[in-house]
Amino acid sequence: MHSSLNWTSRMISRALRSSFSTLLETATGGGGAAATKGAVKSASGSAGEAAAGSQRPRFVSVVCGFAKDNLRHKYKPGKYGEDSWFKASTEQADVMGVADGVGGWRSYGIDPGEFSSFLMRTCERLVQCSHFNPQRPVNLLAYSYCELMEQKKPILGSSTACVLILNRETSTVHTANIGDSGFIVVRQGQVVHKSEEQQHYFNTPFQLSLPPPGHGPNVLSDSPESADTMSFPVRNGDVILIATDGVFDNVPEDLMLQVLSEVEGEQDPVKLQMTANSLALMARTLSLNSEFLSPFALSARRNNIQARGGKPDDITVVLATVAM
Amino acid sequence: MSLLAYGDSSDTEPDALVDFTAMLRQRQRQFGCGNKAQAEQADDQGYYLEQYVLGVLDFSSQYGIDYSISYTAANVIGRPTKYPAYGDYPETFTMRTYGDWWKRAPSATREIQAQNLPKLATQDYIVVYFEEFVVPTEVVIYETFNPGAVVRIWAYGMTKHWTCLWEAESETDSDLARPPADSRRFAPPLNNTAVITKTLRIDFNHSRLNYYTEIDAIMLCGRTVSRIKSLLGKQQRQQLKKPEFVSLPVAIPLTPKAESSLESSPISGGGPISYKLRSLKFQPKCRPDGATKLHEFINNDLSQFLMENRVEGGEQQQPAVVPSICLTDLPFEILLRILSYLDLKSLFRVGQVSRIFYDISSHPLLYAELSLKPYWHLASSTLLCTLALRATMLRKLDLSWCGGLGNISPTEFKKFLTQRGDNLTHLRLNSCKFLNSSCIETVGIVCDNLIELSLRNCATDPPLLNFSCLANLKNLERLDLFQTAFEPELLLSMLEGNRKLKHLNLAFCGVSVNMDNVAAHLATYNTQLISLDLWKAHFLSARGLLSLARLHQLEELDLGWCLREASLGDGLFQLLSNCPKLKKLFLSAVRGTTERDLMHIAALGKSLEQLDLMGILNITHERVYDILVHCPKLQLLDLSFCDNIMDRDFDVLADWSRHFNVDIKSSRVYVPR
Repeated sequence: MHSSLNWTSRMISRALRSSFSTLLETATGGGGAAATKGAVKSASGSAGEAAAGSQRPRFVSVVCGFAKDNLRHKYKPGKYGEDSWFKASTEQADVMGVADGVGGWRSYGIDPGEFSSFLMRTCERLVQCSHFNPQRPVNLLAYSYCELMEQKKPILGSSTACVLILNRETSTVHTANIGDSGFIVVRQGQVVHKSEEQQHYFNTPFQLSLPPPGHGPNVLSDSPESADTMSFPVRNGDVILIATDGVFDNVPEDLMLQVLSEVEGEQDPVKLQMTANSLALMARTLSLNSEFLSPFALSARRNNIQARGGKPDDITVVLATVAM
Repeated sequence: MSLLAYGDSSDTEPDALVDFTAMLRQRQRQFGCGNKAQAEQADDQGYYLEQYVLGVLDFSSQYGIDYSISYTAANVIGRPTKYPAYGDYPETFTMRTYGDWWKRAPSATREIQAQNLPKLATQDYIVVYFEEFVVPTEVVIYETFNPGAVVRIWAYGMTKHWTCLWEAESETDSDLARPPADSRRFAPPLNNTAVITKTLRIDFNHSRLNYYTEIDAIMLCGRTVSRIKSLLGKQQRQQLKKPEFVSLPVAIPLTPKAESSLESSPISGGGPISYKLRSLKFQPKCRPDGATKLHEFINNDLSQFLMENRVEGGEQQQPAVVPSICLTDLPFEILLRILSYLDLKSLFRVGQVSRIFYDISSHPLLYAELSLKPYWHLASSTLLCTLALRATMLRKLDLSWCGGLGNISPTEFKKFLTQRGDNLTHLRLNSCKFLNSSCIETVGIVCDNLIELSLRNCATDPPLLNFSCLANLKNLERLDLFQTAFEPELLLSMLEGNRKLKHLNLAFCGVSVNMDNVAAHLATYNTQLISLDLWKAHFLSARGLLSLARLHQLEELDLGWCLREASLGDGLFQLLSNCPKLKKLFLSAVRGTTERDLMHIAALGKSLEQLDLMGILNITHERVYDILVHCPKLQLLDLSFCDNIMDRDFDVLADWSRHFNVDIKSSRVYVPR
């Protein structure tokens, strides 16, 4: 654990030492490159307008979800139970991400949602910083992870994470995924890109974690370096879904594909929201169904565990289409 | 010219008219624009604009480390994120110190030429810039935690001078009398200056605050001035002449004519209106002319005035008391002693009185200690030249904060140092932006008698302090490298060379050096160390802590944010046993501190005066009580963000605080608005 923190911090400090000296410019109110790059906080909306003409792509994105324990968790924007998500956009990029807090920490008296929520909120803030690199979502996760260390209030726990950046200049999407959350890209009725689930063993995904002091060696902690990264170009009308394992474990892929192909090319956020809502509801209903052979059950059986029915879990659906 | 007939334009002489046009000409010269541009400027007034910070140029200190976005200066950028919520949030700008705790610590330094400092001395500052040039009408500072630290607001005008827009009144005590503990939108009344700016500097003094102060955002409101580009162009072409340095000028020039032009001339310049006024022989009211007016009044009209108002006393004349001894009769040494209490500005002014006073005030003994820190906005290469002539016996030099935005050239500084630096014992160059590596080399070569070297806030890349540039310094007792980048080999060789080192500040340096190596070096070569600051040295390990335990003279140790979650092992116990003189121990966010460690603190920390346990988990009430009982000299105990100290226990803590006479800091949950 210690080594993963060490690696992350050293990587960041070495990489950032020079770029942070943009704070100490010698020019008289020079501003210059640093100012234009993204130090200005731009408004983030689900349908962020592109600066230039029609060639610059943007996301039209919506979010929906359910907490596993609807009764216990009062609705707070940005999280569904222990899951958390964020959306941000700048002139150069549109960013989306989800994080799923690992529930096992509850028995240690730690709120699992705090870690994932902090991770996502910090990612949102970091997108607006001048050193944000739209081509390296791993860096975003790593910086966000490092920020955890700089909080006065100790934040403990662990979570998976999946971050997706659309680079407007090059119309490519860069992704980083740790754990069993993931994304899926649909074009013309077919899955063109899909993330891989990262697991140590069954039901134990890769996770970024900050254990309580003293428990370091006993706790699984993966460094952001171990994230699965992918980069691919996107075209007008592509549908991208980022979701936590509550969706992927309960909704079979062909059903998801069916739902997602219906909104290809859709630019109306209302219609998109309707689809996201139905997908989330689907996942929720299936998760509470005790007979249905969900993907989770199938995978459990592959691991010699007799399971049946859906997997009750928090559900977060971030649905976006690429508009040019 | 008669005061009683003031306002009656019939008896104005042609001379009076000349005043007005001369004022206009002065103003035009000062702002470097021709007649035509001013005429055009009179027409378009610009529009009213409110803008938030676009970027940060400089800051003296921050709580977080520079690559972070928590509690750092970069959080001042943009709209306020937390206001009007009140509390300790990481999305704000926090400075490193608060209150007077650092002055009470063993590592406290004495100010050089302390008489130069104003009543409310600036302790920290931040320089920010905005997008558009405006004539400021309002500066709003959003404070979200412990408001009340802002003491001065400066604006950097297009004339490349800093103007003070607002200064806190220390006499009325209004702003530092601890405003209520609630978030505040602080918008003080600004002085009426016509400076066009987009760069502000905010000065802070938090010596009376209870805890850290936090700033969420700064907003600059003002009227834009169109034709900025033409103004700038004309300025560059006309080469604005900087005032010759005879006496230290105030922000506004001292000549009465120029003063009056700034205060009384109408906003619209030489257009059709002023032409009309000229033709009317209009005489504007000039307040600063008061001295002349009063003189004339007393000479010409006083007797008539008294008669008219039937006031007695015009006839009674006090017999003139001729003093038997005057100031210049005193012996030279006494006069020197008297003048030694003067601040630098007054010293230069005294020198203008007479030849005798000029000789006394330029005596080198008065310039043995030189501090330009309070005059950072006036320091320039010419000033350094002038001072070089006088300061032949220079021992202590403080050029902190000077030379930002190009007022001092490195060559001039090197010349100054070569001329006068060989007997320097104390040198402070905090936040000096003009420093380059050859300057540091000069320091290393010339100033080999240095006992104290302070180079705070010089975090340039590549680092200024590179290999062997300061190898010549062997007598250092105090080395301050707070927030400064340097090469690790340099530090290690300096530690080896300066065996008498007593105070070492390596705050925020943890990313560039291996702190365990540094600790090992300290234990071997610098056993006389009294104070050590390793704030945010994340990679210090338990091994490093054990090395530190070999420094038996240690009185102050700041391990804030070190060690991360790593277990302290035996380190703290060893440290406390071997360093009985330990007065200040900061363990902020050292999350590996266990309950046993707290028991050791209680058992062995007999001399502890300041203890910071912020953010340490699992501190129980019993341990806190133990520490309070067994550490009789304790003055400060910081228990903020300690999870187990709950909100409802504040009464208990307050009771203990009173009973043991210890200032206990704890996190309150503030009710969101």
